[in-house]
Amino acid sequence: MQASLSQEPKKRLAAVYDWADERLGLTGIIDLARHKTVPDHKYSFWYYWGGISLFFFIVQVFSGILLLVYYRAGADAYESVRQITYDIKFGWLVRSAHSWSANLMVLAVFVHLFSVLFMKAYRKPREFGWWSGLILLGLTMVFGFSGYLLPMDDLAYFATKVGLEIPASIPLVGDLITNIVRGGQDVSEVTIQRFFALHVVILPLMYIPFLGFHLFLVQKHGNALPPSEEAKPMSERRFIRFFPDFFAKDMGMWLIALNILAILASLYPWQLGKQADPLASAPEGIHPEWYFMSQFQILKVFGRWFPGAAGEALGMLLFTAALVVLVLIPFLDPGSKSGRRARTVTYIGLGLLLGLIFTTIWGYWEV
Amino acid sequence: MNYPFWDVPIIGSGWVLGGIAIFHVMVSHFAVGGGLYLPLAERKARLEGRDDWLEVLKKHSKFFLVLTGVFGAVTGVAIWFSIGLANPEATSTLIHNFVFGWAIEYVFFLVELTTAAIYYYTWDKISPGLHLKIGYLYAATSWLTLVIINGILTFMLTPGATWLGVAGSGSEASVFWYAFFNPTYFPSLILRTLVAVSLAAVWALVTTSRIDGFTQGKLKTSIVRWSVKWLIPSFLLMPVAFAWYLYMVPESGRQLMNLGISTIGAGTFTHVTRAILVSVMASATIAALAYFVAYRNPRTFKTGWALSVLFLAFAATAATEQAREMLRKPFVIGQFMYSNGIRKSEVEKFNREGYLTHTMWLSPETPDSPYRKVGGLPEADRTLLKGELMFRGQCASCHTRDGYRALGSLLRDRDEKSIRNIVQTLHEYKEDSPYRAFMPPLVGKEDEIEALVQYLRTLNAAPPKPEAPATQTARVDR
Repeated sequence: MQASLSQEPKKRLAAVYDWADERLGLTGIIDLARHKTVPDHKYSFWYYWGGISLFFFIVQVFSGILLLVYYRAGADAYESVRQITYDIKFGWLVRSAHSWSANLMVLAVFVHLFSVLFMKAYRKPREFGWWSGLILLGLTMVFGFSGYLLPMDDLAYFATKVGLEIPASIPLVGDLITNIVRGGQDVSEVTIQRFFALHVVILPLMYIPFLGFHLFLVQKHGNALPPSEEAKPMSERRFIRFFPDFFAKDMGMWLIALNILAILASLYPWQLGKQADPLASAPEGIHPEWYFMSQFQILKVFGRWFPGAAGEALGMLLFTAALVVLVLIPFLDPGSKSGRRARTVTYIGLGLLLGLIFTTIWGYWEV
Repeated sequence: MNYPFWDVPIIGSGWVLGGIAIFHVMVSHFAVGGGLYLPLAERKARLEGRDDWLEVLKKHSKFFLVLTGVFGAVTGVAIWFSIGLANPEATSTLIHNFVFGWAIEYVFFLVELTTAAIYYYTWDKISPGLHLKIGYLYAATSWLTLVIINGILTFMLTPGATWLGVAGSGSEASVFWYAFFNPTYFPSLILRTLVAVSLAAVWALVTTSRIDGFTQGKLKTSIVRWSVKWLIPSFLLMPVAFAWYLYMVPESGRQLMNLGISTIGAGTFTHVTRAILVSVMASATIAALAYFVAYRNPRTFKTGWALSVLFLAFAATAATEQAREMLRKPFVIGQFMYSNGIRKSEVEKFNREGYLTHTMWLSPETPDSPYRKVGGLPEADRTLLKGELMFRGQCASCHTRDGYRALGSLLRDRDEKSIRNIVQTLHEYKEDSPYRAFMPPLVGKEDEIEALVQYLRTLNAAPPKPEAPATQTARVDR
């Protein structure tokens, strides 16, 4: 009797599974996950960064939806964020988690980009993965920029003002684009409304399809082997099962990422400054968020070296050239077929990375 | 040299001590737990005839010897240097009461270091039985060093009614054992022993993760899984021991924590609660990683993962130790000496007769005392110098000017009247003052209190005026 009772729930569960399996093909998916393997070598650590970026994106979505419940764009923007931070229970935590995970996500995406570049994971047949990744990076940065203004405190206001100098320096159309985004000649309530629409509607609508496409390609092609591993004979290469081995580690990484986020959000809650006053003078040393610091500094320095429009034009030319080089990277890799290291791309990657770090530090040094 | 008021810019003297102490705790607790891990692992290997385990243990014992014998010992001495500078009065009190305790610890420490070296250097050179006995002797003596130091550490939180009854009378040493086996002694000893056992597992994972799981799969699986099991006692018993510990801490400490928990929603929760939160969260993550990544997939458990677990253990340990320090607030020695080195019994006298003239290091009778300069200065500079000396004597043990817990930013946007209100509230130290939970009273005569107000005013003035002649003149050598 007891045996039949304990068997009963199992049978029911199996029946439910069968019902769903018939319609969704679950067994096929599980089999696929079980047979899928992930290369295991000394650079495996860098495989986790795409997943970490995804984790922070998921945190962004959930914490963003919670903030949306109380946030009011427009004239009330500052007051609503003040209420979220100080009056609403756990509002400070949700806002803090949202802000910190935004920064951590940008950082994770950058690490992912450079690890893909140095491991040469953009090579055939993964070119579309690289391009869709670049688009996701660009959208992530716009996400960050548009979200930064929404609290409308003095720091957000003036940082956005100086941040908008970057698109404004595009030759010929820079002012037009900036005015459209800004909704006028200056940052105002209209700008908040536009940035809000961009942040919660337009960008997610663009981001999610590209993210889906990117993840589909990762699933289709699997994890790329770095050239040093490719050079090894098949017998010397090592693989681990995607499920449950790699999956457990991926979840472990997410857990560590959650820890870091929770430590930062609870020990260093995101602050809210004074309400922005457009008539007041900008606080000393105002600058955009750290991930725009490099571009900001380059424009600043070029402006010093080449006064007038020439400095801005040269700065934008440099950014465009860097972007074109990044897009063309899969075609610049001459060693893709032979499996040799593509030194040119390594040097380009190192140049970009060091340039980014150097100009960012330089920017903060001058603040 | 500005001894005895150690003026460390940006991080403050507390963090110099904290940084050294956290590293020391990670290593010294490993010295205790790892000391038990090694002979028990060796015993298992010999009973089961696992020669491959013995090879791993030899390497582990070398790592153990270097880490604990060198880094553990060096950081232990560094703690002495830093506490002597950070809080000379409290250090002096500890030495006067526990010099006999430290003598005992020194003996155990000497045996501990010697046996650790003998254990490593006699692998395969003496009989397995004797080698094991040396391992057990090491384990016993290293635990006994914890037994001793735990008495002194817990004394600082809960000196106990007997010791407090004779404190200041000159006969404190007669109640040595009462002070030693104080109210939080036993729960703390159990907690620290459990931490030591779990750190044995965490550090063992670092060395065992280096085994190649593809060529030595069986070896790695068995030793990683056995090491992970060392975390089990801690995770089962730690909550019970922690509850016992909290039950024994003074009511004020518990109130500080309860206040923190009840105000989490509003985001104003206390630092002690934040630290406990980090500790619990990091510990839970260690458990999850140890099970899902190490125990379930030992062959592919790499050093990067082991270091992640170590990092989390570091975060948990640092947060727990910080929470323990916070629970002691506003005292450095519970109910006896405030965190700035002023004895509770001296408060009235200092208020009546003045702080600067009575504090040992500043008294005009002391040669080279900066207070001697006061007389020869113009009025405004004299006030600022007195204010700065008050800051260094009563604030600088926890606050910096413009770094950690900076008074410059804590008092930002406050005018002179507002600063005076805060300072006066701390000076009056009324029974219902909310500051009593974590701040010591500000002592001194009215002119000294006012001098502090004037000095604090210079810290929050925006923009700062470093070239102001009064402040320049008032700065003493540092």
